[in-house]
Amino acid sequence: MKSVFHRSVFACAAILTIVGISQAGAQQKPLKKYESGTKEFWTHPPDDWFLGDEIEAQKGLAPPSGPPTGSSEAELATMMKKIKLPAGFKIEVYAPGVLAARQMAWGDKGTLFVGSFGLGNVYAIKENDGKKEVKTVLKGLNMPTGIAFRDGALYVIAVDKLIKYENAEANLDKLGDGKVVYDDMPSYAAHGWKYIAVDKDGAFYLPFGPPFNIGIPPTSVSQIRRVDPKTGNAEVVALGVRNSVGGDVDPRSGKYWFTENARDWMSDDIPSDKLNMVSKPGEHFGYPYCHQGDLPDPKFAMGHKCSEFTPPVLNLGAHVAPLGMKFYTGSQFPAEYKNSILIAEHGSWNRHKYQGARIVRVTVGPDGKNPKQDVFASGWLEGDQGYLGRPADIILDKDGSILVADDWAGAIYRISYKK
Amino acid sequence: MPSRFVLRALCGLALGYSTLASLPAHAADVAAGKEKAELCIGCHGEGGISQIENIPSLAGQPDQFIQWQLVFFRAGTRKNEQMQPIVEQINNDDIRNLGAYFASLTPPKATKPDDNLDLSTKGAQAAAGRRCASCHTDSYAGTKAVARIAGQREEYLFKALHDYKSGVRSGGGMAAMADVAYPLSEEEIVALAHYLAHL
Repeated sequence: MKSVFHRSVFACAAILTIVGISQAGAQQKPLKKYESGTKEFWTHPPDDWFLGDEIEAQKGLAPPSGPPTGSSEAELATMMKKIKLPAGFKIEVYAPGVLAARQMAWGDKGTLFVGSFGLGNVYAIKENDGKKEVKTVLKGLNMPTGIAFRDGALYVIAVDKLIKYENAEANLDKLGDGKVVYDDMPSYAAHGWKYIAVDKDGAFYLPFGPPFNIGIPPTSVSQIRRVDPKTGNAEVVALGVRNSVGGDVDPRSGKYWFTENARDWMSDDIPSDKLNMVSKPGEHFGYPYCHQGDLPDPKFAMGHKCSEFTPPVLNLGAHVAPLGMKFYTGSQFPAEYKNSILIAEHGSWNRHKYQGARIVRVTVGPDGKNPKQDVFASGWLEGDQGYLGRPADIILDKDGSILVADDWAGAIYRISYKK
Repeated sequence: MPSRFVLRALCGLALGYSTLASLPAHAADVAAGKEKAELCIGCHGEGGISQIENIPSLAGQPDQFIQWQLVFFRAGTRKNEQMQPIVEQINNDDIRNLGAYFASLTPPKATKPDDNLDLSTKGAQAAAGRRCASCHTDSYAGTKAVARIAGQREEYLFKALHDYKSGVRSGGGMAAMADVAYPLSEEEIVALAHYLAHL
């Protein structure tokens, strides 16, 4: 059953948030009301959304910023030697100079398209005389982290616009302004950057993060929608989702799986980030009431029990920041890799000793049973709060090797296997 | 107002940690930066001290701040007609060298005595109330990807704050400056620009 997502739901949403509740939760003060139907609300959400959700021990932690021009080829060559992989696997630089590289998508004719974060670029990488040529094909977009390629068209999602560029590979020199095919999305930047997973019908799974760390989300966010780019029709497939910037459709079952970044400012070690699976449309994954399947939020649980919500398939660890993920459907890697999930972990900022910044492999049944996690690629961490690189997305290449996008070093790597 | 921690989180993107910048392979060339800066001094002034209205001084700006702005201009996320043809002529090495060069220069000093101490007092209050120092540091000298604002040209600070307030500029990563400048009143902008220019 499909429920078309109406614009009116967004426009009518009245937002409730709770002010001034003590951590002990003894006395509830009156609810405060906001109107989300105004543009102002989305461009400048109420300041008090951001108040008071950190604990003393976490104060002073802040997201790091990488080198503005990425890593040089010499630095990348040094870095490659530090990356640890299972026996038989090899990592090499596929393309340097892909600044702020995020989601990747293959064109039909072999062009690798790459989105980016704050820089606003979309790149096209082509082979030219044995060298990878990185061309900036779109500029000035609003956090175009998510991209997809379908029926000759490049799709880019830039916070509140899904833009289609027809016949993209033939027009790399002049993609033009494209056509907005879906825009029923809030414009606020925080957790507004997105990812696109395409299913066999050509529908796009799009995540909608809440515009804050923790709070009662407006009704149009904290969810995943399945959007048909041909018609603009949308349905909500998952609720109670915090910041998800990665997902893939299970080749075994057709079900949508996604990574989710849990709330910050609680502690270095809780709550855990998650790997989830949508069994049926409309499932609620717990945010903001319950984290990691078993941890009621100290302020926002408000009497809800974790048993009311769909638990994660697997808790991946606190502040590991899982982003792009792919089921391994190739045949180059050893047989046991078939249909396991490779997850790019971007790594911590809200933790005194960073963790993540690696690729993990999860083996799990199509029903989500018996999950098991192993570190696949690591070595991008340096010291307690330093990075050499930060994996952000994974895509398979035709030969069964994988490509990894790194938005810190501004590079794409290839990981391949040989017996 | 966002709480202090949110400001930290927002500006943290700019304050961040760059391990690679300290590796020898990344060493920027100040002399090469100086040579390349011939492109810049026509507007930004000899020694990176601007003598032209609405053109900022670059002397003593943090290395990463210079680099990020050049990268933003080149990417088109920060738009400026005069800067556009310039950034088309520079590569990543140039950007690293220019960052190192301008960071190495002696920052501008407010030369005139402060002709309006009352306004500066108001500006200091506004800066404290808006928590400018939580990103720009207590001396307003900036750090990492956050700009030096102490001693910057007054009318340029006024212009920059207006650009942030109106959304013409959004700042780095998470739009920290756009969020901070949005609720500023005209009086606060005037006072902040005056105060910071005379530090």
